[in-house]
Amino acid sequence: MTDCDPREERCITCGDVGVEMRVVRVEDGLALCEAEGEQREVEVALLDAVSAGDLLLVHADVGLVKL
Amino acid sequence: MKFVDEFRDGALGQKVAAQILGVVEPGRHYKVMEVCGGHTHSIYRYGVDDLLPENVELVHGPGCPVCVIPMGRVDDGIAIARRPGVIFTCFGDMLRVPGSNGTLLDAKAQGADIRMVYSPLDALRIAKAEPDREVVFFAIGFETTAPSTALTLMRARAEGVENFSCVCNHVTIVPPLRALLESPDLRLDGFIGPGHVSTVVGARPFEFIPADYGRPVVIAGFEPLDILQAIHMILAQLAERRCEVENQYARVVPYDGNPAALAAMADVFALRPHFEWRGLGFISQSALRLSDAYADLDAERRFPVPGVRVADPKACQCGEVLKGVIKPWECKVFGTACTPEHAIGTCMVSPEGACAAYYNYGRFARDRVLS
Repeated sequence: MTDCDPREERCITCGDVGVEMRVVRVEDGLALCEAEGEQREVEVALLDAVSAGDLLLVHADVGLVKL
Repeated sequence: MKFVDEFRDGALGQKVAAQILGVVEPGRHYKVMEVCGGHTHSIYRYGVDDLLPENVELVHGPGCPVCVIPMGRVDDGIAIARRPGVIFTCFGDMLRVPGSNGTLLDAKAQGADIRMVYSPLDALRIAKAEPDREVVFFAIGFETTAPSTALTLMRARAEGVENFSCVCNHVTIVPPLRALLESPDLRLDGFIGPGHVSTVVGARPFEFIPADYGRPVVIAGFEPLDILQAIHMILAQLAERRCEVENQYARVVPYDGNPAALAAMADVFALRPHFEWRGLGFISQSALRLSDAYADLDAERRFPVPGVRVADPKACQCGEVLKGVIKPWECKVFGTACTPEHAIGTCMVSPEGACAAYYNYGRFARDRVLS
């Protein structure tokens, strides 16, 4: 994942960038997700029945779509 | 990687480019606007425009959330950030957006506690870790990002985090598109619709474009083949005298969006009567504030802000760039006084801004490679 240096490929948060992340586990309405070796806690309140192994489109630490 | 490699296949790209050539009328000039800054970035990163016929022009729209923030809102943020006891949080690009008297990064260098976060949830974590400080999140973005802010405010409320608040600069995509379609100095033939905004709002809100203005819309993904295919679908509609909303990005975008996200936004936000967009001026009902139910988490009510409108620098032509009236390299300060390191205009700040995309990928003038 990048920071917001314009020389980097893309800012993951400022724009409308979606990152595909794999769910590792779900706890207290938050899913621990992984992409490219990095883990983030992701809010999954907008999605139905998320479980380990699901692939999510994540934007600003929120799962928007189950892929 | 699944959903990526197959959408970057060069041979397939050449095939779609040939299909595009097959549906354009020689002698007709087509102007297609990509609404979203993410598309602008992809087009120049992958050289998508080099695969298009000479008479198909891509026009870059206002869909970069950083680029449309007016200077006065940056000044408001800096005023809050300078208050004693405040930890001010925002996305990284916002740090370098110029206000009338410097950037948030300048204010940070002068001692303000300003921290970059990847999400509103990160800002809430800081608030929980620092209960004696006021933590303010400067929220920007279209409908893609607004649900993240909404869910975080709902979580702050549920967990009783009282030292957290939000400056809400969220904007909505439809009003500026309508403003562009009403603009007399811009003639467009069709729109590449925003992919990730549509995961939230769906495709339905764009139906007014074919219905009221007779222009096709194709919602597209962000890989080069997504964009090429969307351009082909738009041009095919024009060739067949069709005009409708189509969804090229159906593998991700449901036609009706995400109802849970829309419900969260309806709960937490209310429409502002009007909001200033950089370069586009004031547009009615084009932005969100916190709803009365969440007024206690509204930083603009918690702290005094200047709230002064600031005119853009005269040398900067971001307005014309955002409306697609001029190309970035036609701006007087592009690549000279205005660079990503020392941006005068917001379009040069964000990697999704049209000027930064042109600059970073070496598009200093119209030098297309035609096949």
